[in-house]
Amino acid sequence: MKRLLKYLRGYEKETALAPLGKLCEATLELIVPLIIAAIIDRGIANGDRGYTVLMSLLLMLLGAVGLGFSVVAQYFAAKASVGFITATRRAMFTRLETLSYADADSLGTSTMITRMTADATKLQTGVNLTLRLLLRSPFVVFGAMIMALIIDVEAGLSFALVIPLLSVVVFGIMLVSMPLYKKVQGGVDKILSRTRDNLSGVRCVRAFGKEERETIKFREENATLTAAQNRVGRISALMNPLTYVIINLGIVLLIYTGALRVDSGELTQGEVIALYNYMSQILVELIKLANLIITISRALASGSRIADVLELQSSQKFGEREVGVNPECAVQLKSASLRYGRASEDSLSGISLSAMRGETVGIIGGTGSGKSSLVNLIPRLYDATGGEVLIEGSPIPEFSKEALTRKIGIVPQRATLFAGSVGDNMRIGARGATDEEINEALLAAQALDFVNEKGGLSAEIEAGGRNLSGGQKQRLTIARALVKKPEILILDDSASALDYATDARLRRAISDFSKDMTVFIVSQRAASVMHADKILVLDDGHAVAEGTHKELLGSSEVYREIYETQFGEGASE
Amino acid sequence: MKNRKMLTRVLKYIGRYKYLLPLSLLMALISTALTLYVPILIGEAIDAAVGAGRVDFAIITDRLLLSILLIGITALATWIMSAINNRIAYRVSEDIRNEAFVKIESLPLSYIDTTPHGEIVNRIINDTDRFAEGLLLGFTQVFTGVLTIVGTLVFMLVLCWQIALVVVLLTPLSIFIAKFIGTRTFNMFKARSECEAEAASLIDEMLTGQKTVRAFGYEDRATERFDEVSGRLERTTLDAIFFSSLTNPTTRFVNSMVYAATALVGALIVIASGGDGALLTIGEFSVLLSYTNQYTKPFNEISGIFAEFQNALASAGRVLDLIEEPSEQSDEGFTEIENCEGDITLSDVSFSYSKEKPLIEGLNLDVKKGQTVAIVGPTGCGKTTFINLLMRFYDVDSGKIELDGKDIRTLTRHSLRTSYGMVLQDTWLFSGTVRENIAFSRPEATDEEIVAAARAAHAHSFIKRLEGGYDTHLGEGGEGLSQGQKQLICIARVMLCLPPMLILDEATSSIDTRTEMRIQRAFSEMTEGRTSFIVAHRLSTVRDADVILVMRDGKIVESGTHEDLLLKGGFYSELYNSQFAH
Repeated sequence: MKRLLKYLRGYEKETALAPLGKLCEATLELIVPLIIAAIIDRGIANGDRGYTVLMSLLLMLLGAVGLGFSVVAQYFAAKASVGFITATRRAMFTRLETLSYADADSLGTSTMITRMTADATKLQTGVNLTLRLLLRSPFVVFGAMIMALIIDVEAGLSFALVIPLLSVVVFGIMLVSMPLYKKVQGGVDKILSRTRDNLSGVRCVRAFGKEERETIKFREENATLTAAQNRVGRISALMNPLTYVIINLGIVLLIYTGALRVDSGELTQGEVIALYNYMSQILVELIKLANLIITISRALASGSRIADVLELQSSQKFGEREVGVNPECAVQLKSASLRYGRASEDSLSGISLSAMRGETVGIIGGTGSGKSSLVNLIPRLYDATGGEVLIEGSPIPEFSKEALTRKIGIVPQRATLFAGSVGDNMRIGARGATDEEINEALLAAQALDFVNEKGGLSAEIEAGGRNLSGGQKQRLTIARALVKKPEILILDDSASALDYATDARLRRAISDFSKDMTVFIVSQRAASVMHADKILVLDDGHAVAEGTHKELLGSSEVYREIYETQFGEGASE
Repeated sequence: MKNRKMLTRVLKYIGRYKYLLPLSLLMALISTALTLYVPILIGEAIDAAVGAGRVDFAIITDRLLLSILLIGITALATWIMSAINNRIAYRVSEDIRNEAFVKIESLPLSYIDTTPHGEIVNRIINDTDRFAEGLLLGFTQVFTGVLTIVGTLVFMLVLCWQIALVVVLLTPLSIFIAKFIGTRTFNMFKARSECEAEAASLIDEMLTGQKTVRAFGYEDRATERFDEVSGRLERTTLDAIFFSSLTNPTTRFVNSMVYAATALVGALIVIASGGDGALLTIGEFSVLLSYTNQYTKPFNEISGIFAEFQNALASAGRVLDLIEEPSEQSDEGFTEIENCEGDITLSDVSFSYSKEKPLIEGLNLDVKKGQTVAIVGPTGCGKTTFINLLMRFYDVDSGKIELDGKDIRTLTRHSLRTSYGMVLQDTWLFSGTVRENIAFSRPEATDEEIVAAARAAHAHSFIKRLEGGYDTHLGEGGEGLSQGQKQLICIARVMLCLPPMLILDEATSSIDTRTEMRIQRAFSEMTEGRTSFIVAHRLSTVRDADVILVMRDGKIVESGTHEDLLLKGGFYSELYNSQFAH
């Protein structure tokens, strides 16, 4: 929590005034029983109507002033907590946006989203309540005890008995039941995930005829959940009766000792009633405090998850270089290897490859052979865990992030588009691009026709490109990379949803788009790479062959096999 | 009227515990009455302590001892009541969840395909909870609340009708204020949740697309967009939180006004009754003061509970609607398939998902045992629908499908479906280990059989490389695996049980052609003599099929072997040749 305190900066005044306002309000509440005692002991005892009216008006005044304090406190608490969470959330967002691929992988998208939304909301509520209540409740509890002791030490002693007992019961029940609630939540998560699985996999469940088996499992998990609920229910059901008993026995004790003190003339009847009133106030506040502590402990957990995100340091450091020492040698890999996160084996090992400016390099291989891993090294989306990657003859870490982003355009395997117009999406990598430039790129990416059909650059794209087909999305992501006119273009299996004819037109258009552009084409299709200047064949993370289409047909068994499975046996002869 | 009908539906579930309910109400009655009565005893004890030397200990001891007894009884009654309520609430939700799940397993596919899954899950989990807790606990809370109000009023009237009048006249004010603030803040909360939704979808989009953001250097502009939404969210949240948080202070303020009025009126009446307390004693006065505090509480609670009660009824409606959805026709009375041969005949089959858009019309097909049938064609031509009909996920509108000469509508769904081994393009993996996922088709399979199936599906080598091998835990939907790897696991699943017929619906679309070829070899070895249907858009996959059906707009436009169709020079050869275009 300490790690987050700096985001309260600018709200110091509110942070201090909110609890203060609450304290003032609580103090006024503590005065009420004294006034009632005064009414009884002076107003009623002396039959003084004027005094009684005066005191009653004072009660109303206290109520009004209390309202004033409270409103001010609520406002400051709301302002500080909302301002705090806005600042925190912004810090999180900028941090998450700049994470490297490897860091983003290890964190996971759903975790990022939960922290930005659910955790942030919990933290905000926690801060708000803390500012309002954390000081108030203990203040009322102990204030009541102190007031009681001031009225009469001996009679007030029953408070010293009741408060610890109540605390033990309230906090004890809370402590015992909290882990049990977690178990209940675990049980809910289980049946939730089974329900979801059975809905998404309804065809599989029925095709394999496993309805009954799944139902039995669900019943078991459901029964476990009910048992967990019952366990925690039994414990928390003790809260009300136990606290009731303690408070009321305390009152009985109070009245009895009070009566003794009245008899000896050391206490008035009004004061006994005041003590009685204080006793009644304690319970409400203690229970509020217990609930508050639950909320705060949840908020703290959220807070520390958020602080963890904020402390993530990007594992990549960038240099300042803008241009490499040898611009002709666009990309060079020197026995580069890559191992992801906690994987036990390399996904790429010892790859060497060089691409001169203007060359087209094809990369082909089976599922999981390391094709994407290889091209992800070129824009430094991942850092090689062994060997070296050179851009224009200079080591890649020397380049500035901006230079790499500007030079290299990548079209990822999974086409991601943002909600907004086609034009907005096209300008993601090139803010100032003109409509002509965009249309040019769309034309090359074979996307101009359908974009125009949908209404041109202002056509709306729904979140995630839901209103587009897979092939349309792919063509738009290709156009998006072309708009920024990169020196190096990487197509990572980005034409897989296109039919062969469109794919062929696309490749021709791209090579016409810019003669100087170095192009990497990753594909499972031999047809997509066979015209490249150079083809690298990957198998299981290793480079097994390199050469032109003709050379590889003669020299590489893997390549020939891929080719023949797609073009028919004997096609290579 | 609608609510009453709802209640009778709901009562069906509570009915199983109908003996417990009156007991719970009785306990509520006892605990409320005693809770109100104990302060009166305390008041009488206080009255017995007038001043120095004027304390009647006989009365005090008597009242206090009685109080202790009643306190004990109250606590016991309260405990029994909550124990019973919990029991009913949890049991009822367990029953409802079980029924709802059974319903999911038997709902027609058309329902599941057209209803968002999040909505169904929400009904089973959240609505059931809200229903059980809101309705049952809410019910007893309303009951005790009303009892408390009525009881307090009665006691007050008995003690002092003037004060009762003051309280009755003034308390509605706090309810009125709470309502006023509630309706005023409603719009603020609406504005806030709109901003919240907007912020959430931006966050979702930018974080899901984080890699794209990074690759294109879009971070700064993403932050600009975020700041804009975030600023609006800050303003609307502040409004909503602040104004709604005024409810408590203002009702507290009204209550303190009522309290002050009670003090004033009460004290004046005590004074008027002189020293003997003929109209009102000091003890009674203090009881009235504490009643005043208590009296307003259930009012504020009840208005909240009432809203919850309404919500609970709405929730109950949603979950019961689900349970009362018609199921797929039951298997009872239909024939079990024995020794399935695998001859399939379609005669004049027509089908469409909606009347406006006819899909399959007049489809005829004769497949002999052991044949491999490939279905190709452009997206939306009805390939997957064809599979839906074979498996009876949907029933034909007209015409019939026969298996071994029997109309499949006369066979049990269970035996029909388990006669097919099916792999779909939309891979389905559940949260569990790799081993559990493969063994789904045959839970009793040994480890050796599972590994053998994985080997046949060419999945063994990548599974071995996972961090925990076959015991690697997969997240929901197989998180952490590539699409191709997921397909391999699904294929291994079918390899493990090998039913008499096979359906592969784009089963290898994300697997490279080389691996695919090998898997197909393994399949054809194992499917010797089994009828199989292969749907594919990749034509290399289907070349060796016995019959290739070319579909277009719900009709079979061409059929024959690969060579026949190429010679014919029709739609198929057009599709096939397009892949060689340079």
